[in-house]
Amino acid sequence: MTMKDFKLENEPKITSGFTTPEGYFDTFSEKVLAQLPMEEPKVIAIFTLRKKWLFAAAALLIVALSIPLFNSITATATEEIDAETLENYITYHSGISENDLVDLLENEDLEQIKVDYNVTDSATEEALSTNANLEHYLLN
Amino acid sequence: MQEEKEFIAALLHPKTQQVAFQKLLQDYQKPLYNHIRNIVLNHDDADDVLQNTFIKIFQYLKNFKGESKLFSWMYRIATNEAITFINNKAKRNGTTSEAMQTKIVDNLKADVYFDGNEIELKLQKAVALLPEKQQLVFKMKYYEELKYEAMSEILGTSVGALKASYHHAVKKIEEYVKRN
Repeated sequence: MTMKDFKLENEPKITSGFTTPEGYFDTFSEKVLAQLPMEEPKVIAIFTLRKKWLFAAAALLIVALSIPLFNSITATATEEIDAETLENYITYHSGISENDLVDLLENEDLEQIKVDYNVTDSATEEALSTNANLEHYLLN
Repeated sequence: MQEEKEFIAALLHPKTQQVAFQKLLQDYQKPLYNHIRNIVLNHDDADDVLQNTFIKIFQYLKNFKGESKLFSWMYRIATNEAITFINNKAKRNGTTSEAMQTKIVDNLKADVYFDGNEIELKLQKAVALLPEKQQLVFKMKYYEELKYEAMSEILGTSVGALKASYHHAVKKIEEYVKRN
């Protein structure tokens, strides 16, 4: 065949030459359908509907059960003892000694209690030298 | 058009979905396969891309606005899937899609799913040398025998521009065949 005056439109149709395996298209749609997330009619529909009701009932039950709990929390909150009552109780009605209370103090509390007098050495010396009882203290 | 609306409604309704999608597959698996195969060239790749195309069609169907025909919308998805596929494949192999396509065409003779003679092979080789857009236009017009109007809807290019592309493609192919 001479290609010198090759004109595509004058040629008999040239195909792509591509073929497929035997029976390829017979099984292709099954292969695709198996991969699709199809919604199964009815069966799933009823199931999801039932599930929805189940969820609603469960939610309602949880709310109902938590009402007494909620009440008890709010009740204790309003019955909080005020500081004065507590102080009076500790002072007059309990066997708690001062030492017991001191034991309860944490480092942090102690830090807060600490008072910085900011006294210089010379001031201390002067105070001691003008104190007539100094000699008496030293001797005893 | 009314018929198509009803068909799309059937595709979306859980009760009729399965049967409708089966019909869609029966009607379009062959033309879409040919379209994809002409782009990716190899059967196994075409099979993968065609499956993905139908899965995407199924997933995106609820977003299909009916602004274009279902036919051209599906061809558009298939075209995008096929082109993305060859670009990714070329990237994985560290080459360009043009170089990869030329190599595949050069080895077509050994492909068990290619039964073309000398002239079919020569045409494939000539087409592989065209710029991407001209290749696509030529394949759709010559091999798949789509109408310019349909191609225009699928590719979003004017009929005039498509005719010009096809004309250029044919000229280059004829030159190639004369020389080789």
